[in-house]
Amino acid sequence: MVFKKVMGMIAELKGEEDDTITSETALLDLNLDSLDIAELIMNIEDEYSINVDDRESIKTVGDVVNFIESKIN
Amino acid sequence: MIKTIICEGLEIEYPIFQGGMAWIANAELAAAVSNAGGLGIIAGMNSNAEQLKAEIRKTKEMTSKPFGVNVMLMSPFADEVARTVIEEGVKVLTTGAGSPSKYMPTWLAAGIKIIPVVPSTAIARKMERDGAFAVVAEGGESGGHVGELTTMALVPQVCDVVNIPVIAAGGIADGRGVAAAFSLGAVGVQLGTRFITAKECNVHRNYKDRVLNARDIDTVLTGKRLGHPVRSLKNRFTRNYLEKEYDSSISNEELEKLGLGVLRRAAIEGDIVEGCVIAGQIASMVKKEQTCREIIVELFEEAEKVMRGNLQWVK
Repeated sequence: MVFKKVMGMIAELKGEEDDTITSETALLDLNLDSLDIAELIMNIEDEYSINVDDRESIKTVGDVVNFIESKIN
Repeated sequence: MIKTIICEGLEIEYPIFQGGMAWIANAELAAAVSNAGGLGIIAGMNSNAEQLKAEIRKTKEMTSKPFGVNVMLMSPFADEVARTVIEEGVKVLTTGAGSPSKYMPTWLAAGIKIIPVVPSTAIARKMERDGAFAVVAEGGESGGHVGELTTMALVPQVCDVVNIPVIAAGGIADGRGVAAAFSLGAVGVQLGTRFITAKECNVHRNYKDRVLNARDIDTVLTGKRLGHPVRSLKNRFTRNYLEKEYDSSISNEELEKLGLGVLRRAAIEGDIVEGCVIAGQIASMVKKEQTCREIIVELFEEAEKVMRGNLQWVK
């Protein structure tokens, strides 16, 4: 559920669906620049009313999903 | 007289910051700007805790007015510098080259006013949420590390999404620029290049002269390929770098190496041919050497005239 939503947010930022992205994909390999990544983080904070305060441990799409799940559960 | 909430909030006479330029914004310059009524800012750059501590103490000896430190978050010493600024009782911090989020809770607990430099609205919103006192919206006209958006485009968009004060930076050289920044919604300005030629700035003589002789078309961006473009004045260094940047046989590591130590080389050693002479797009508008006080007073007298003059068009 969260994964699907995050994928949707990434697709929105990229302007296209990218079915090569999996939970193992590194954020740096999304073909998004650092400003887009900041936008993604803000969109996540807004969507789930959470604070992404530990950026350093978040490396992959899967890390993003796990982080969100740990905060909302 | 121009007074904004930023004057009250930071206890400064004029709503102006001097940019935390690496190898240039030292204790002498920061103290001179603070004594002149603005907010002087020491460049934290890649200093370690001991070096920064010495610079902060030196500044305190030269001014009793508020001053700030710019924390460069990509610095290998960022963690120790983050502690030093608390120990030394620094009241205002600007941050650049990364997200200060992980340090913000401890800085806020120490009563420090945090003013991150932001290149986009999302980052501005994040900084406001994390407790920033204000943000500096810096457009790509500025010297040094730059973002994609221009000051004209970035400042109003940032003003629209945050409720904290916005300081405009990038492309401001005189009172017209200051007045323009206020028109865009900013309540303060940050200038770097204009202070390079300040009498109290002890950057190498050659560097000052290069800025004083700059033309409008003299700045160029290098390092786009590495994802962190830098604006500086054209010279042998930038020509050589750009040639290699577009040469696919040169690796990113080799390119990174080319950029090491080049700012120090220009600012301290005075090698303005092989060094990196960082300056903003308005370098050619900086035509004279003045004291920091003269610069600040002139900027705001001009700005006031421009703002009053603009009313003539309102019918």
